[in-house]
Amino acid sequence: MLLNVNELSLSLKRAGKYSKILDQISFQVEEGETVGIVGESGCGKSMTALSLMRLLPEKALLEGEVNFQGEKISGYSKRKLEKIRGNQVSMIFQDPLTSLNPLHTVGTQIEESLLLHTKMTKKERRKRVLQLLNDVGLPRAEDLIDEYPHQLSGGMRQRIMIAIAMACEPQLLICDEPTTALDVTVQAQILELMNKIKKETQMGIIMITHDMGVVAEVCDRVIVMYAGKIVEEGPVLEIFQNPKHPYTQGLLDSIPKLGQRKEKLGSIPGTVPAPENMVVGCRFADRCSHAMDICRTVHPPMIGIKENHQTACWLYEEGDEKDGSIGSHKLEAALH
Amino acid sequence: MRMDALKFVGKRLLLMIPILIGISILTFAISNTIPGDPARLILGPKATPEGLEALREDMGLNDPLYVQYGRYMGGIFQGDLGQSTYSQKPVSADLIRYSPATFELTLFAMVITVLIGIPLGIISASKKDKIADQITRIFALIGVAMPAFWLGLLLLLLFYLKLGVFPGSGRLDSGMSPPTYITGMYTVDALLTGNWPVFKAAVMHLVLPGITLAAITIGMITRMTRSSMLEVLKSDYIRTAHAKGAPENRVLYGHALRNGVMPVITLLGMAFGHALGGSVLVESVFSWPGLGRYAVNAITYLDFPAVMGVTLLIAILFILVNLIVDTLYFFIDPRLKHN
Repeated sequence: MLLNVNELSLSLKRAGKYSKILDQISFQVEEGETVGIVGESGCGKSMTALSLMRLLPEKALLEGEVNFQGEKISGYSKRKLEKIRGNQVSMIFQDPLTSLNPLHTVGTQIEESLLLHTKMTKKERRKRVLQLLNDVGLPRAEDLIDEYPHQLSGGMRQRIMIAIAMACEPQLLICDEPTTALDVTVQAQILELMNKIKKETQMGIIMITHDMGVVAEVCDRVIVMYAGKIVEEGPVLEIFQNPKHPYTQGLLDSIPKLGQRKEKLGSIPGTVPAPENMVVGCRFADRCSHAMDICRTVHPPMIGIKENHQTACWLYEEGDEKDGSIGSHKLEAALH
Repeated sequence: MRMDALKFVGKRLLLMIPILIGISILTFAISNTIPGDPARLILGPKATPEGLEALREDMGLNDPLYVQYGRYMGGIFQGDLGQSTYSQKPVSADLIRYSPATFELTLFAMVITVLIGIPLGIISASKKDKIADQITRIFALIGVAMPAFWLGLLLLLLFYLKLGVFPGSGRLDSGMSPPTYITGMYTVDALLTGNWPVFKAAVMHLVLPGITLAAITIGMITRMTRSSMLEVLKSDYIRTAHAKGAPENRVLYGHALRNGVMPVITLLGMAFGHALGGSVLVESVFSWPGLGRYAVNAITYLDFPAVMGVTLLIAILFILVNLIVDTLYFFIDPRLKHN
């Protein structure tokens, strides 16, 4: 197993007190696998990504374990973690313009990872940078190397970010909304590039997005997050065909489909609750049309619907929904 | 890119002309509305009304103001700034004589400002809200809040009178002759001619007035560097640098500093002007024979040509320094080259 995240919780200090942003997140990523993390804005997707490499604001409280290639990196010192960052685990961010240093040339920025993590000579590094520019589909690499981010288009900049991330051939790539800030046509090109890279390497990828289309395009498995918790997890096909959690169903309903002329697109009423005033039971209950009494008092545990398909919802119980009646675990919880 | 920079500088130099004309009109008008009669000051209390009238006529003081101004400006274009009524010498000669001392002092203060202010600001930003930050904050505030003449007196009291480690007045030890005249700045001239004893004395004499003059600008630059660095450290590309695995110091000096220092450079231009103005007080406290003291004397004796000369010179310097600052951006920020 490449990455094993175990009960990861994150609290951030806001207005003088700590509030929980992530609540006991657990998931795994295998080698060569692309895992999508989806959810609305503010549900903790990006914070999950940043927590893995501890790229967090200073006053952040992190609990739980992050194991990378069998090593417990959540216990690593800052210096030890710096050796992994950009080397074995790379990241790509949402806005490629602000994510690149405006005063450094493209070449210098790609080269930096090599400078930090390899013993390559200057000549070798230059060769590798040119190769990387080529790999991410950028023409006239020789000129590009001396240009600055503001001279490039959004798509080119994101390709540069990918080149930076790929420089040291990482085992894990974390992409935080890599296509959100781009034009639709450019989005498609970047996703194509991601798929190409995926095929060529045995890299594990975490793809954070709010766009179900992106998930369908590149992911093998999906994790659906809501208000700092994982609510459903399963293979892409399974989730698209057989979504269980009402939140996942809502997300899928809100995608416009070709050929269907609906009067109105599906939307989920309400917004994600703020971490400061988190509810006791299921966090989605207030926006859920199936909400029952138990939903408002006890948080539903993660249960297996099928092999690999899990959800946290009182509507279902262990081992598929064959049995429609209230399952024993629901009763048990209700009795508390 | 070169052409762009040249065009930019050319445009700014042309813009200087209306600014300078404006300043000259303003200074001329102000110095001529101050009550007081230069002719009476020159001739003293025993002057006869006839004598006064003759001198006024001779000095052109009876002409309408715009005629006087036109005559003055006509002279400027021939390099003639008029005759100082106090020193009885051409103002241009006086300016050449006194300005090197002021440049030397101001430049020295600016060097101290950069060498102390920027590092303090960086430390303050990287250790935000920790003890180092608090201590720097206090020093910066004291520097900004303390009046220069007061700080100058305190420093004199402590380091000159009590401890005797630094000299307290003038540019060189008494009896020492200045180095061969090249720039007029003793430290530079001594360095160029390899005159070490004079160099050492000149530097020692610069320390106290230099610190006094720099106190305010150090405070300003420290605070500016801090806030600018804090802003930069929050940006996405700093997160990218961390994500690449760059260690803290590399992020701070390799990525943040160059971005963070840009607003600081603009402020440095302003600080230079501030220091030039501040030299008037500091030079009086430390008996520094520069433009500041010359200006104070000129004002006391209603020596209008001298006041005008000093004002115009400082205005030109201030504009030039800010032009240099703006040009520096071309070399620091690649985004300007292409727009």
